[in-house]
Amino acid sequence: MGAYDPEVAGLTRDEAEAFVYREARLIDDLELEEWLRLFTEDGIYWIPIDDSKPVEWNTSLVYDPPLRREERVYHLLHVPFPAQAPRSRTVHLVSNVEVAAGGDDAFTVRSNQVVYEVRQGDFRQVGLGEVRPIVARVEHVLRRVDGELRIALKKILLIDREMSQSNLTFII
Amino acid sequence: MAVTGLAARAPARGDLDPDDLVLEGPHTYRVHTRAYTDPAVFEAEMERIFSRTWVYIGHESEIPHPGDYKTAHIGRQPVIVSRGDGGEIHVLVNRCVHRGSVVCRSPRGTANYFRCPYHGWVYGKDGSLAGIAMREGDSGYSEHFAAPAGLMRVPSVATYRGLIFASFNPEVPSIEQHLGRAAFLIDNKIDQSPVGEIALRSDPYVVTYRGNWKFQAENIVDGYHFTFVHEGFIKLQERYGDSTGDFGVHRGRSMAEVRRIRARGVSWGCSQGHGLSAKPVDQIESLLDGRLGDYYRELLERHGPERLAWIAGSGAMSIFPNLGIIHHQIRVWRPLAPDLTEVTVYPYELRGAPDEINQGWLRSQERFYGPAGHGMPDDVEIFALNQQGLDASAVDWLILERGIDSERRDEVGDYEGLPSGETPQRAFWRRWKRLMAEG
Repeated sequence: MGAYDPEVAGLTRDEAEAFVYREARLIDDLELEEWLRLFTEDGIYWIPIDDSKPVEWNTSLVYDPPLRREERVYHLLHVPFPAQAPRSRTVHLVSNVEVAAGGDDAFTVRSNQVVYEVRQGDFRQVGLGEVRPIVARVEHVLRRVDGELRIALKKILLIDREMSQSNLTFII
Repeated sequence: MAVTGLAARAPARGDLDPDDLVLEGPHTYRVHTRAYTDPAVFEAEMERIFSRTWVYIGHESEIPHPGDYKTAHIGRQPVIVSRGDGGEIHVLVNRCVHRGSVVCRSPRGTANYFRCPYHGWVYGKDGSLAGIAMREGDSGYSEHFAAPAGLMRVPSVATYRGLIFASFNPEVPSIEQHLGRAAFLIDNKIDQSPVGEIALRSDPYVVTYRGNWKFQAENIVDGYHFTFVHEGFIKLQERYGDSTGDFGVHRGRSMAEVRRIRARGVSWGCSQGHGLSAKPVDQIESLLDGRLGDYYRELLERHGPERLAWIAGSGAMSIFPNLGIIHHQIRVWRPLAPDLTEVTVYPYELRGAPDEINQGWLRSQERFYGPAGHGMPDDVEIFALNQQGLDASAVDWLILERGIDSERRDEVGDYEGLPSGETPQRAFWRRWKRLMAEG
């Protein structure tokens, strides 16, 4: 990625930051229906294990085209299940935001994110009350749709993506 | 994720007598809390089970060429599984015989030799000691030095249809004897491939849970839990069906329908400790006329209608002590401590099957398994709740008696039971008790 150049990118860092911050806030506030609306019609939410391999031949931690993303949100908001009963609280910290032109009216926004997660409830019980950091490099591919920025791709590269994981049944 | 063993709270109470831990009667089958929590039980399991029986360590497709290797564990013993120049498989203890360092640091790769990072001792693909650095000279080794032959070799290695097993027991019975009736279900799974071979290509999922390893061994063939632990998933099936990529794996679009479907089929508890469940297809015609008809007709030609009903049906296995096969995955559980277990899920491909099928089943597994899936995180959550529940040691026993009056023993000593009974789990514990009693 070259140096940031607002003339080339057509997207200022301020605008990119505001967008990524707002997305993070919607996730942390569990405003997930609103979060879904941030994506383009064919947007992808992707947490790969190895992003160098073709996605159709390799499992990802999450590979959500629109309907799967909608299902994930429906699951979280409307269907109780053991891994989210009680549910997680999260706080996203976003830093190192950079913007680059992505071609075809797309922009690539890179950030580093630390997501702290804790399961609510009786903190004396297993899995609850333990604040866990989830550390990732995040890449947003954004497009303007009717003048509004939308996510064509959100790719989350966990620093421990090919290693043993605990419960990741919440939105990162 | 860094994990630390939280091992065990209660000290061992006296000598280990398996008769105190597994209670068997004509209509009774109970397992004592300590069988899941006691560090002394765990230590004994590592010796009496994981060092005596066959343990699954990998698949041949993970190390296809000479020099390919992967690392694995036999209980707590770390091993290297290496492909030699003649295509043979070597299973080597991953410890330098000089001063003990780990020799191989990568989980998989290709190498002509393994070199100890501490003093540079070099071992070949077959583990033989190929060179000792600075061997000569006054400060070197004596001319009478009894140099070891190489890395410690695990004495017994066998494969069954590409699955690699190893054992520290040189007298272990043949792999065919060990697998027994499970071989029939393994064959059914692998013969879903038109050429009768599977391959591991995708990255695996790895999940660590805070519970005993036996909860996973029991649960992969537990027909009773699905409509409770996975009630939420059934609600997703009601709403989304196949539209989000289930690829026909989970049948039933309502709780009632799922209950009805899951009441069919058969389960077995094998004398070797394996738990099996299977459900042949009722009407193979619907498959032959369906969207994947060409694929199923090829299987029909190869195997005939009776085998095809089993091959195309569903099946799940808990192969004693550490291997599961379900859907299109190989699952391995590794005991780390009485209350800590690592589970690795390896999706496999059917060689020779259409890409649509392999990719469809991969997406389906992605939706259910893995740490962000809609199924497996609920199972491992329950395993941790089980373990924490057992902290309540005031209660002695766990009850594993479902279907005990309806199971029957056959001529080879296996038990046959109904789908949501606990026949597979009792078989696990019978073998467990026998091995633990051998001392």
